[in-house]
Amino acid sequence: MSRATSRARNRLNRGDSAWAYLFIIVALLVYALFTAYPVLSAFIISFQEYSPRGSTYIGIDNYTSILQSELFYKSIRNTIIYTVLTVPVALILSFAVSIMIMPLQKRLQTTFKAVYYLPAVASGVALAVVWLWIFDPMSAGVLNRFLGFFGLDSQNWLGSSSTAMFSLVLMSWLSSHGTAIIIYVAALLGIDSSYYEAADIDGANFFQKMWHIVIPCLKPTTLFLLVTGVIGSFQVFQNAYLMTGGGPNHATTMVGLLIFDTAFKYFEFGKAAAQSLLLALMIGIIAFLQFKFLGKDVEY
Amino acid sequence: MTRKRKMTAMLLALTLATGSLAACSSGNNNPPANSGGTTNSPSENTGNSDAPDTITALLPPVSPAYQENFKQMEEEFNKLYPNLTLKIEPASWEDMTQKLDTQVNAGSPPDLAFIGSDGISKYAQMDMLMDIQDLVTPEMLADFDEAPLEYMKNGDGLYGFPAYMEVHAIGGNKQYMEEAGIDWKAVQENGWTYDEFREAIQSGVVQENGNTRYGFVFATAGVASKDYLSILVKNAGMPSPFTEDLKYAYTSNNYLDVLKAIREMIDDGSMPRELSSVDAGKRWNMFLTGQTMITGKGLAVFENSANQNNEKIKAGDGSAVADSIEVDYLVLPMPSFGDHDPVSYAVVDGYVAFRGKNEPTDEHKANVVKAAYFLASGNVAATTNSDLFAAHITESGREAAASIESNRNPDNVAAVDRMLEHAAPARPDIPVDLGAQAIKVENETIIPRLQALLADEITPEEMFEDVKKAAIAAFGEDGVVQD
Repeated sequence: MSRATSRARNRLNRGDSAWAYLFIIVALLVYALFTAYPVLSAFIISFQEYSPRGSTYIGIDNYTSILQSELFYKSIRNTIIYTVLTVPVALILSFAVSIMIMPLQKRLQTTFKAVYYLPAVASGVALAVVWLWIFDPMSAGVLNRFLGFFGLDSQNWLGSSSTAMFSLVLMSWLSSHGTAIIIYVAALLGIDSSYYEAADIDGANFFQKMWHIVIPCLKPTTLFLLVTGVIGSFQVFQNAYLMTGGGPNHATTMVGLLIFDTAFKYFEFGKAAAQSLLLALMIGIIAFLQFKFLGKDVEY
Repeated sequence: MTRKRKMTAMLLALTLATGSLAACSSGNNNPPANSGGTTNSPSENTGNSDAPDTITALLPPVSPAYQENFKQMEEEFNKLYPNLTLKIEPASWEDMTQKLDTQVNAGSPPDLAFIGSDGISKYAQMDMLMDIQDLVTPEMLADFDEAPLEYMKNGDGLYGFPAYMEVHAIGGNKQYMEEAGIDWKAVQENGWTYDEFREAIQSGVVQENGNTRYGFVFATAGVASKDYLSILVKNAGMPSPFTEDLKYAYTSNNYLDVLKAIREMIDDGSMPRELSSVDAGKRWNMFLTGQTMITGKGLAVFENSANQNNEKIKAGDGSAVADSIEVDYLVLPMPSFGDHDPVSYAVVDGYVAFRGKNEPTDEHKANVVKAAYFLASGNVAATTNSDLFAAHITESGREAAASIESNRNPDNVAAVDRMLEHAAPARPDIPVDLGAQAIKVENETIIPRLQALLADEITPEEMFEDVKKAAIAAFGEDGVVQD
């Protein structure tokens, strides 16, 4: 290749790079303004006592105060309990539903996908109102009437520490699987049919096909849903805020709600920023561990 | 890629980028020239009393018809002060606090906001309130009743004008009370002790068709539990969280007596055991559908709501509350504990003045005071308070309201007036940092423990110990009442 040709190609590459940067500038600006800048700003604020009329630098006081707070640890424990109870069940339910709707005709399959996705489109506040009606503590409440059929006593679902967390978990179990179902169905469609044909020739039954073909092939999808599910669950806020406000006796105060309360109830924005950075750190560590231990034999 | 296509793509990318930047630019929030500014610093007004100026106000639906009158209020204000513009931003009650807090924390609050006087210490601590003490005229001050005006003070500062002074009472179903043999007129006139109240609500419990009608239901779900406790402790020798020598009062044994009473009323079946989940909407529904004899908290305006529902039932209107019955609403005082005098929980809401990051000019401050006074007195106050069934607290409001007809029950009017005589006095002497600490103890310890107490998960003694522990941690051994 002559030197002149090489120079011309480099010039062309440089020109293309410039165009590429120009085309991503909008996305880059949006990212810088709405993600990078707030994170940087939160990092700075976390070392300050925030005030609209002038913040003061207080070193790591916000962090030490958080790490000495019983409520912070309680909120972490609540968040972990919520995550452990919701994420695996959500994966199993989504997987089971996907398997069940796979053999259906395309139109029927689409109908089911739309039905399961509907809660994701509906307003969270509207759903919360429906759930508040279901969890009505009086004997006339929907869930309490259901218990009444079996001769069981009415429960104060959201008003008692022993049932409040379970009520939020139940809400999660019975809604919000639409996205995972669509992703699982897409992944199932991507499995080569020759695997099933080979299994049929070998006389494999349904469960053997599941175990030896479907589950291994869906491992990357499952890992993705697990990681995003755990991240989403750690950031859970809406249901606790709307249904219980974190009560009773902080039984449903999750880290996300604690951050909100710290910022908007007590106006301690510095401490709230520190809490959110600690939460981000926790999520980062958990995601790293998930990829490290569960992503070893995953191929993309 | 052809040159033409490259150019088109570049233009599109630049347009999007410019749009993104422009949307985020603070320049967008600048007031238009000569508008007087929607912020707190209209520099063009300095030194000229007739210079145009704009005063912003964030106002919730204070009364049912309040927000419908905004345009008229803006026009009347402009007629009164031709150089001034009152710009009202409506907010729902649900959004009000969050909207205001966001604006305050961003350093650009409205000039005026309608909030409860109990919020003053919170914003005063942030140094975001405007002290109008030196800006109000003697005529303005003379127009207001003294007691509600005191509620708008903190330390030496006056931070706004009160709109009304209400009492948190309880409401009774006249028919059920008479069936239970309760002399409600005597209760309205003389009040009652906790023992008399407990006996009354026990006699109000009725089993019919497999359903229970309770003697008393108070909204306690979530933060509403705070109202329940506050309204009770005021009648147990603790009219304020702090004694006159600024010691935290809720460590007194009187507090424990109240906590025991809260549990007793649930345990003996006078109140539902699911009380901790009963919110404001639920308990009002229970009252209108005949599931409880007495409900709380009760405001004078509830009589209006009950009357309206009665009319709908009579007219066969389908928008009446489902399964509701006609109810004669009675305003009742809270019971007093032991030998303590009855003290009513006074609610004073009003128009509070804010300032932003930049100090507003004296001219603008004076204009804000004019707007606050306009909203809190005269015709606006008369219409709003009549709509709310609330007592008038300005002379000008009383005069303007003289021609407004009212269908209030005179017994209820008299009962409210008597309770206002016993209203807890304002405590502007409580320093903001002490007030903020008390709010923190309330939010982090009292409300969560009260929720647990209502759900029968802890005993009154355990809650009392937790509150004491939190109070001592916040105020020190010497900063709390020890009896």
